[in-house]
This record gives sequence, structure tokens and C-alpha cells, in this order.
Amino acid sequence: MVQVIVPSILAAQAGGRQQFDVEATTVGEAMRALPVADLLFNERGEWSRHLNVFVDGRDAREHGGPACPLAGAHEVLIIAMLSGG
Amino acid sequence: MATGVLALVGTRKGLFLLRGDDDRRGWLADGPLLAGWAVYHATVDPRDGAFYAATNHIVYGPTVQRSADGGKTWERSKKIGLPQCSGLTVNAVWHIEPGRPQEPGTLYLGADPGALFRSDDAGKSWMPNRGILEHPTRDRWFPGAGGLCCDSVQLDPGDPQRMYVSIASAGTLRSDDGGQTWLPVNLNVAAEYLPTPYPEIGQCVHKLLLHPARPERLWQQNHFGVYRSDNCGDCWERLDQNGLPTGFGFPIMIDPKDPDRAFVIPEKSPEYHYSPNGELAVYRTGDGGRTWQEMSDGLPRPAWAAVLREASAFDADSLYFGTQSGSFFALADGDTWVEAARHLPPILSVEVTQWSR
Repeated sequence: MVQVIVPSILAAQAGGRQQFDVEATTVGEAMRALPVADLLFNERGEWSRHLNVFVDGRDAREHGGPACPLAGAHEVLIIAMLSGG
Repeated sequence: MATGVLALVGTRKGLFLLRGDDDRRGWLADGPLLAGWAVYHATVDPRDGAFYAATNHIVYGPTVQRSADGGKTWERSKKIGLPQCSGLTVNAVWHIEPGRPQEPGTLYLGADPGALFRSDDAGKSWMPNRGILEHPTRDRWFPGAGGLCCDSVQLDPGDPQRMYVSIASAGTLRSDDGGQTWLPVNLNVAAEYLPTPYPEIGQCVHKLLLHPARPERLWQQNHFGVYRSDNCGDCWERLDQNGLPTGFGFPIMIDPKDPDRAFVIPEKSPEYHYSPNGELAVYRTGDGGRTWQEMSDGLPRPAWAAVLREASAFDADSLYFGTQSGSFFALADGDTWVEAARHLPPILSVEVTQWSR
């Protein structure tokens, strides 16, 4: 079981929930288990390039992206790009 | 029972609901709803009162959201997409048009890249229109600053097979067979950025409106002028002389009671998207576009305002528009503008309906 934390705009799209406990072996599986999965992937199934995902503080993009393993992990933190107007 | 006007004001940061009195002088604002989303268009389905919002986010992408309880809660559409074989993906959702009264649950959605979708389940899912997606002229369409946006969808109320879309920059297309095939209808409409200034396709329509009382009459505000057609788009007459300071602008409004009346908000030029000479004004024609008169009483001066293509609305009694500087104006008493709200985020869209409590 891993805890996934989403940004506030996504929480609003999930009935106000910001944290989800999911069973998953990879980051991609964990993200697809969320009720806002459609907002995390484009129509070709790719991550938004403006999303950062950290697994216990490690950047998932540097560890396989969606295939990043979750064995022993406690937290998946999804953070949207912070730049912009 | 109190009654008045409810304006759905879509902004770059969410949706605001503005409730105005019957005289359109006193207004209350509620929002933002859908906070953080750029609401390119929000509208009320007159068939059941549901709200629909075409929302976009730089991180989370495009989606459509529906509320059946006046904006308290929202339900998101299933992922909106285009067939992989098209090589295209949806960049943004632009305009939602509820279907005809005799087709409950049907809605249309205009999107970038030059795409039209249809829903038959009240916005839960959307299917792309293949006639538009695979149109033989598509290789001559090209995006403007807003992308290749399908910004207008108009349904002929008297002919269930006839409908129109406008796309910037493809022009206006008409279907006479319920959306299976589409005919470009751009005769006499200028595209001055092309080597051939009057091409079959490639015009930059900013907004297209059909007059409900005379469905063969169309109005459009184009990148290059204001136009009227009296024959379902078969040919167009350019109208931006005789009183208009410029032919450039984005929105257009009509009077649902009088097919000869229309309203535009000129901007200086395609290079300068703001009020000419700092003089924000709506211009009115009452004679089908032969002459135009300024309507600026109550509007700020000087003002270098920019009003986007979805950021105006009309009903049987009044007109409404919002600016990119976050001011929302309503016409009170037929000739005086009231600033109903200010300091909103940049306004992208406006629609109005009646409300009561």
C-alpha cells in the first residue's frame, strides 16, 4: 500500500480528497488507480510534461517514469508545474 | 419571487456566477467555481438547466464539466480524444452548444485542432465528427494565436440536418446532412494573410452566429471584417464601413427579436488587440450592417480593452461583455452600460440566462 498525494486542483476534482491509499507496484499503476487519472495522462497515455512525481523524495522520471517501482515505498507525491501566470 | 439575469463568466482562473437584478444595475458575484481551470466557455442547457463548462489547464489538459445543481458540484467528461490514426490530439476545448429541443442529451463541442465532437449522453462522453476530422481541405487549415480552434457551432432550428461550424483558420463550414459532410461557405470572405485573398478555405472566423428567427441569415466577426449572409453562407457581404472605426474584433452579438440588429466591439487592428484610440465601445447596426452607431455611455474612457471571441452574450432584453482586464459590463435601460464586476481574472467567456428564487 502506498499513499498518493495530489495537488489541490486535482483534489477538488476528486470530491475534496487529497490523499489516496492504493495498491500498486509501479508509479504508473498508482496514478491510474486515482479517480483523476484521466487528468494525469494525455489521450495517448503519456504523462503531462508539466507534472513532477516524487517517490519518497526521488524524482520518478529519473527512475523509469511510469515504470518506476514502488517496492517498499511509502509516498507518491504528485506536483504540478509551479511556473506560469 | 425575485428574478433577474444570471451570467456565467468564464475566466482564466475559474468560473464566476454573477446575478443581476431585472434592471441589470445591481449585481452579486459568486466564485470562483472550478477554481484554477481556464473556462473557455460555460453555458446553460436550456432544455434542463444544467451548466456545462469547457475547461482547460496547462498541466491537466482539456475537459468538459457538467453541473446539475447550479454549480455546486461538477461531473467531468470521460477523456476527450481523437483517433490515434489521425495523428492529432486535443489541445483545448472551446465551445459547447446544446442540441436541439428534440434531441435531449445531445450536445456539440468545438475544439482545437479544428475538431467537432458530439455527445449523446449529456456530456459524459464525446465522439469526434469524422466529416470535420477527415475534411479534404484540412491540409489548408492553419492555427491562429488561439490554436486551430473550432469556436462556433450553430444549429439551424428549422432544419434538423443543417448546422454550421467556424474554425480559425479554416473558415465557415456548413453541413446539410446532419454533420456527415461539410461544405466550405466562405465566398467573398477575405483572408488577407494568404496569397489568394478570397480562397475557398482558410478564413479566420472569430465568431459566427445564426439568427434564430431567420435561420438563413448568418453574421460573423472575422479577422478581416464584419459579414452577413442571407443565404445560409452561400455568399457573404462585408459590412465594416459606414460608422465602424475598424473591421477587426472578436465577439459579435445579435438581437433575437430583430434579424437586422447586430453588435460588435471593434479593436484597433490584427496587430493591436485593443480598443481603437483608447475608446472602448460597442457598435450597433439596426439596418443589417449598412450603418453602425457607437454605444459607449457608461463605459470607461480611456480604455484599451480586449474582448475575446466568447466574451459577449445577449438575451432578448440586453447585451453583456467582459474584458481581459476583468471587467464585466451589462447594458441597462437599453443604452447605458453598467460595470457589474471588476478585478476578475481575465474574462474568456460570457453566457446569460434567467434566474429566479
